[in-house]
Amino acid sequence: MSASMVNNGLRSCDCHECSQMNELKVNTSFMNMIAGWHLSGDTIMIEQMPIMGGYVSSVEETAICDVAATLASFVLYNCDIHLDGPVHIRWGNTSNRECLQVAAHAARALDANTDVLLANQYYTIAGPCTEMCLLEVAAQAIVDTVSGRELLSGVAPGKGVLQDRATGLEARMLGEASSAACGMSIEAANGIVDNILHRYELNYHHAPMGKKFQECYNLDTLRPSQEYLDIYENAMHTISLCGMDF
Amino acid sequence: MAVSRFIDVFEAYDRFANGKRVTEQQWDYEIIPRRAKMLKESYDLFFGHEIIPTDDEMCDRLFMAGMDMLLSCGIYCTDLGKALTIEEEEIYQGLKMAPKKLTLGTGKDKCTLKPRRGNSFRKPIVEGGPTGAPISENIFEKVIASYAQEPMVDGIVSGVINTINGRSVVTDSPWEIKATMSEIRHIREAVSMAGRPGMSI
Repeated sequence: MSASMVNNGLRSCDCHECSQMNELKVNTSFMNMIAGWHLSGDTIMIEQMPIMGGYVSSVEETAICDVAATLASFVLYNCDIHLDGPVHIRWGNTSNRECLQVAAHAARALDANTDVLLANQYYTIAGPCTEMCLLEVAAQAIVDTVSGRELLSGVAPGKGVLQDRATGLEARMLGEASSAACGMSIEAANGIVDNILHRYELNYHHAPMGKKFQECYNLDTLRPSQEYLDIYENAMHTISLCGMDF
Repeated sequence: MAVSRFIDVFEAYDRFANGKRVTEQQWDYEIIPRRAKMLKESYDLFFGHEIIPTDDEMCDRLFMAGMDMLLSCGIYCTDLGKALTIEEEEIYQGLKMAPKKLTLGTGKDKCTLKPRRGNSFRKPIVEGGPTGAPISENIFEKVIASYAQEPMVDGIVSGVINTINGRSVVTDSPWEIKATMSEIRHIREAVSMAGRPGMSI
């Protein structure tokens, strides 16, 4: 409701976002919001994050639910763009191997058979100012770009639950990795992503929380700290070693 | 076969109201898991080790399995306790109606989404921001500005202010409305100060 206030609300050209529930469920609040936005001519983005290991178990079953939920967004709820985000029930990130596989298969299946607009969102397990976080972002950005998605939305480091642990540098990595992956073959991308995954996927139990925004940026100049810039450079170097040509 | 009318959210509500009554527990623990498992087998889906699939036929089978899931189960409404049904032709007609192009933002800061059809050389749009992560009220604008100043970022996705005027934001309360309006106001200020006032948020 507050998003639609005339003086301080969203414009029609901003994303009016609401979420389906897991799996293949909605409630009336969801429909009521859409009804108002639809009649106002607003841009509607519908989110659904299938849970890998939740009500369904395997990657294949999760991807089936993912495709079905995406179709429902467009066919039943006047959606303009669907925001995906397969998430792991144990790790809480979208950048683990299984969720990348679900997202990539669902995107390719939908991309090959429809012209709908597809987005994905980013939840890393590691926090900002860590190489692990940036590697997670890069791996997912390559997968989303190569599997044909149109919009990438992120990043929520530390599973999106840690206070003040999000900064612009994670989004810079998202953009740089995506740009570098444009036009890349699936085979090449799979090799690079596999190499990057090997660098972080054994560290989930001890994933670093990273630092707060106030420790990562100068609050007066809004420049990133030298420490974070060095970590960013190291991450770029590591991703290059994994086969990526920036 | 031509459909009598395209489905919208109003038609969806009516279908829920006239739909089949099931409990949420049946839906979560019986209907969805059993059907997904059955479809995995009947459409012969096995992803193996590949992260991004190279098998185009399997991608088509996954699409058909997703269609089948929606056709055979429908969607469940938790408030009404009912599931709607939809026909195959209605899905295809709905997909035809879905936008093929979308412009976000205004002026020189606007960006346009079009189907990339595989991995084209056209970069996806980047919506940068904390993506729902909790951000303190006193630094919210600066955090958003750190995204808006990145040239790779085309639009903003918000975080969540969990206090307003220093007090916690209670879900489903007037304070939640005030907090959301405060978020939007801060984001507008942040993108303006980054010289990108038309950015989508």
